[in-house]
Amino acid sequence: MPETSYAVLGVFETPDALMKAIPQVRAAKLGAVEAYTPYAIHGIEEALGLRKSPLGGMVLVMGILGAITAFGFQYWISAVDYPIITGGKGAGSWEAFIPIMFEVTVLFATFTAGLGMLFLLNKLPFFGHPVLSSKSIKGITRDRYVLALEAESEAFDSTAAARALQAAGAIEVEALPAPDRSPFLTSDYVLRTLGGIFTACVVAGMAMYFATKWFPVLAPMKYMQEQPRLNAQKASSFFKDGHGMQLPVAGTVARGYLPTATGTQEEAASLVNPLPRTPEVFALGKKVYTNRCEVCHGAVGNGVGSLTAAYGAKPANLQAQQFLDYPDGKIYWAIVNGKNAMPSHAPYLSERERWAVVDYVRALQRAQNAKDEDLKVATR
Amino acid sequence: MSQDKNASNLPASWLWGAVALGALGVLGSYAAAGPERFWANWVFWFVLLFTLGLGSLFIVALEHLVNAKWSVPIRRIPERLATLLIPSIPVGLIALGAIPVLYPGARPEAAHHPLLAGKAFWLSLPFFSARTIVALALCLLGLWVLVGGSLKQDATKDPAFNFRARKFAPAFMAIFALVVTLVAFDWISGLTPEWYSDIFGVYVFAGAFLSGLAATALAVLHLQDQGRLEGVRGDHLYNLGGFLFAFTVFWSYIGFAQYMLMWYANLPDEVIWYKVRLQGAWHLITLVLAGLHFVLPFFALVTRDSKKDPRRLRRVAYLMLGAHVLDIYWLIFPILGASPRFSWPELSFALFFLGGILLWVRGAMQKGEDMPVGDPFLREGLEFRL
Repeated sequence: MPETSYAVLGVFETPDALMKAIPQVRAAKLGAVEAYTPYAIHGIEEALGLRKSPLGGMVLVMGILGAITAFGFQYWISAVDYPIITGGKGAGSWEAFIPIMFEVTVLFATFTAGLGMLFLLNKLPFFGHPVLSSKSIKGITRDRYVLALEAESEAFDSTAAARALQAAGAIEVEALPAPDRSPFLTSDYVLRTLGGIFTACVVAGMAMYFATKWFPVLAPMKYMQEQPRLNAQKASSFFKDGHGMQLPVAGTVARGYLPTATGTQEEAASLVNPLPRTPEVFALGKKVYTNRCEVCHGAVGNGVGSLTAAYGAKPANLQAQQFLDYPDGKIYWAIVNGKNAMPSHAPYLSERERWAVVDYVRALQRAQNAKDEDLKVATR
Repeated sequence: MSQDKNASNLPASWLWGAVALGALGVLGSYAAAGPERFWANWVFWFVLLFTLGLGSLFIVALEHLVNAKWSVPIRRIPERLATLLIPSIPVGLIALGAIPVLYPGARPEAAHHPLLAGKAFWLSLPFFSARTIVALALCLLGLWVLVGGSLKQDATKDPAFNFRARKFAPAFMAIFALVVTLVAFDWISGLTPEWYSDIFGVYVFAGAFLSGLAATALAVLHLQDQGRLEGVRGDHLYNLGGFLFAFTVFWSYIGFAQYMLMWYANLPDEVIWYKVRLQGAWHLITLVLAGLHFVLPFFALVTRDSKKDPRRLRRVAYLMLGAHVLDIYWLIFPILGASPRFSWPELSFALFFLGGILLWVRGAMQKGEDMPVGDPFLREGLEFRL
């Protein structure tokens, strides 16, 4: 049984001699040919017949996958799972996704490039390459150019390899015996690596635990905590009354929420509804009426709502002749100021919503007192 | 240069014919299509000519700035293309006639416009013209020092030029940034003076550099077809392709960043510029521009071998020049209306200016040496390996 070799190294004095030797040694077909040089030599990849690195393709695929992943996540969150319209931008606006897609593309691509290079192509964890323990290694890192014929099978003949290298011009040959243990990943190495990571975690965790226990007041960044500002619901020395939150100035009115536009209800009779009678206005009126008026005045405005039975109240029957004769302004006045037991709705309804309700009440009244020509309009 | 080397080219008489025919159309378009359209076309071609020349000069200056060796053998190509800045001077001076017609900031009403009153002096005809003349003069200075000095070095073989250029290049970069920003702000975004974008100069720079690179790559490949530029190999092409690849991404990055910030903020005076370009036929052109200026060249150049492949590189270079033309069209022509204008006046201008540019570039390519033979780094550049 021939002794097992890892490789036979042939040492050359110049890069030119090495380059000249490569085709001869490759032609001998004794094993895999690999070169070790102190610096990169132009054209050596082609001479050695190295195949193109698959890393570029991997990076491209993973980069595209990263873009798709980021788009999918964001689209699902903002358009499918929990659609929110912010800043007037529709749910699932792709423009906002691009920066994240870019980041994730780069993340996937760089991790693929880095980890793929180290673990898939360079075969880490790989502890101690056999060439590192050769006699020629000093020359390789200095001024010698080494060609290695690496054993690919049991049939590797180290004496033939040495002869081929010498024939190609090697000034020195060295047979590298196979290492007595695999340089590649073994359970022994896995255990040691995992043990090391575990120990590092324990030490770091303990250090953090005791650091925060013994020095609890060490806050790394307090700029935002300590800025001068008024906090909601908190005391403050900034104002005389010692409150952080201040009441609005007397007479403040929220935009669109005028408390009252009228004097008496009779005076309000001359107010004119400013809204056009469009489907949108009626839809708004219906929505507001359903939310705020229907419980008392009933779905058709006849004063029979779901609350009347429980409380014994008698809300106005808006279908009564008295209210059919009301001008728009008087209904508006009642919504704004309230009437009898009905409270004012001014704080809850905007100007537009109030008038929309007036329109809707008019529609309810007409629906209950429809004439023949209304039917024609409706069926046309 | 002997005549047979031009066998694959269009005959010069055809180009002269195109220029003559185009000139007739150009003059006719002023009468028939109105001054607005005439001046929009003129400004469009001025910007194209200027960005092509300035982008090429930037490549030359960049080589001196970073002391690059690989690009020495092909440096004469961008140097020759940079001479397009010379015809851009008369074209730019004539374009001054467009200011009262196309640029609202230069009209007397601007003084009463609430958004323009404060900028009225900056946008006024005298100051606008003065800035343009200064910008053109500064370009001429760069051309004289960098290109003129390099041509002189062919005969003198004096390495002092390299030291001079290396000292001048950083100063030229500042000049370049100023000139590109002035021209972008004045001539392009000045068409809609209410609109402004800080990054706009960088956006136009990206397009200008790309057009210079594409034209350089195209000229290098063309001269190689004629058996010239001996010694320029795939390694040099790879660097040109790499630059093209990188700057298509840079252009898209700047273009999209500008768009996204305005889209997000949704301020009326900013989004109006994009609203015009995202409606009707302009929307389609915007999408086509994104496809031609980014998606297609990105995937065409993404692999390592494709950057060295002359056939692929030539196609991408043509594509990038076309995309740059479309980019400038997209920047300028929306002022003429919601529907993109393209008919005989645009074709006449294209015939006139393209014919002229080709004649000029061909003339420049025949003159003197194809490589800077006096440059001491030429040998090192020829030996460049990836």
